[in-house]
Amino acid sequence: METAVGHYSRTRVTYSALRLSVLQFLADPQWLVPSMIAPVIFALVSFQLFRGAGPYFLTYAILGAGMMSMWGQTLYGSGWATGQDREFGTLEPTIQAPTPYLYVVLGRVLWNVISGLVGGGIVYAVILVVAGGPPPVINPVAFAFLFVFVMVTLASVGVIFSAFYVYTRYAGFIQNIGEFAFYIGTGCMFPVVLLPFYTNPISLVFPPTWGLDALRYLSIPGYHGFAWGFWWDLAGAVGTTAVYLATAGFVFHRVERHVLEVGNLSYY
Amino acid sequence: MSDTSFAIETHGITRDFDSRKGFLFREVTHTEALRGIDLTVERGSIFGLLGPNGAGKTTLVKILSTLLLPTRGQAFVLGHDVVRETNWLRPRMGLVLGGERGLYNRINARENLRYFADLYGVPLSERDRRINEVLARVELEWAADRRVEEYSRGMKQKLHIARGILHRPEILFLDEPTIGLDPKSAREMRKLIRSLVADGVTIFLTTHYMFEAEELCPQLAVLSKGRIVAKDTVANLRHLVGGDRTLEAEAYGFDDREVAVLKDLPGVSKILTEEFGPVSRLTLRLRTSETGAEQVRAALPNHAELAVRERRTSLEDVYLDLVEEEAR
Repeated sequence: METAVGHYSRTRVTYSALRLSVLQFLADPQWLVPSMIAPVIFALVSFQLFRGAGPYFLTYAILGAGMMSMWGQTLYGSGWATGQDREFGTLEPTIQAPTPYLYVVLGRVLWNVISGLVGGGIVYAVILVVAGGPPPVINPVAFAFLFVFVMVTLASVGVIFSAFYVYTRYAGFIQNIGEFAFYIGTGCMFPVVLLPFYTNPISLVFPPTWGLDALRYLSIPGYHGFAWGFWWDLAGAVGTTAVYLATAGFVFHRVERHVLEVGNLSYY
Repeated sequence: MSDTSFAIETHGITRDFDSRKGFLFREVTHTEALRGIDLTVERGSIFGLLGPNGAGKTTLVKILSTLLLPTRGQAFVLGHDVVRETNWLRPRMGLVLGGERGLYNRINARENLRYFADLYGVPLSERDRRINEVLARVELEWAADRRVEEYSRGMKQKLHIARGILHRPEILFLDEPTIGLDPKSAREMRKLIRSLVADGVTIFLTTHYMFEAEELCPQLAVLSKGRIVAKDTVANLRHLVGGDRTLEAEAYGFDDREVAVLKDLPGVSKILTEEFGPVSRLTLRLRTSETGAEQVRAALPNHAELAVRERRTSLEDVYLDLVEEEAR
């Protein structure tokens, strides 16, 4: 056997991780529940509860509750996948491979964004059928673009969460505790303006807080968010997402170094 | 980078672990898993590392394969520092930790290998051919499209090896590759390991099985409580523990005077005593051939029930002597 040294490509590794995620998704139907079925159920419940509260409030409710689980899938899917790597014992050979683990995570995040968007499409289709037409939105085209971008903001947090799963086997415990705080803090459940003032600095650290507030500007007439209007929200979302993504490489480098120091990669 | 021509060279590798337990009252336990490992391994050879559970074998493998940082000391693989030159080293080394874990069980073997081929940058034009090649080499082509969860332990072990050699590494670390395998699968595994060395791959093997080490490894080291207690060829290790011939004498108890008489026989270098209920066994290590069963019987005239057996000192004898000596 002639020895040979390969050179990894970041794009190829990202695609390969995305492909692996799809294969695992198809092999394990349990993921259909959080990514496709739960969003529809939550959207239908919201529709039934708030159908008499006015068309825009209905849109608001569907945004808040119906898509919450879909967002959860986008946000947490990447972390869970790394947690599964620990459980399967595949984290060690993956970290030992020449490719930085970050690109594996990016591939998974990309898949979670795609599955989140598919989930969003299904929710939209179901609401179309049940309500007999689309939920009213002030600017549907901008809304659609921003919706995709909100997925990206969630994914950027997902990348950092994923680093926690590499860092420690207890990341799932921390994430489960933080889940509802995150939903409330980012305004997934209700607008951040309703929260006590002293919680705002925490909320503003998360990119989805800004993105979701911007989405509400586009869907509800007369909405007043926590910032100084739609454009500030958008700038905040872009800025915080950029910071998350820009620091991801550094965070992963530090985390990989840490796990090699403590030697906890095989713990699960 | 080291100037060495060795595949592996370590200087005083030490690794400490702190494990914590308790929530309110944290209790920290400090363990020295490796205590100053100095080791060299020739290129293109099989090097065996023997040691009891918890001796530090896997810790050393993980340090050498860049999965763990040493607390102190330096290690070079293929002449490159395992801490500072991981980017150079990782594409050139393979690691097989083995066991039931370490694979994506819900997808098939081919997809598992494809994923890792991408991570290791196996050229796209060669990827599928290379996957078929390694599957054939480990005799798994017939099960390539079956989910890994349907695989037996032996098949999983073969798949681990296939993944380890997929990117054609120059050095392969095998951590107990035959553990849990049936005799036929273990034999096939050893055949595969020999064929890899014939291809020029350096193998660093840890094992519990003495016959496996004896069969495969021209050079080996015994690790006990984080220290290398011996490193040499099997033949030289036999001499180290007192000779390559062993005589075992069994009777209903020996007194100190009898043991002293046996110790004075020519060529006897060491006597070990064991008790099995009422039966005592004296194990004599012999450096020369002057003393045999007859001489032992003559030295112990008061034991009509005496049974004496002669055999070659096995690697297991060597191993147990060394590990027990270290424990004392």
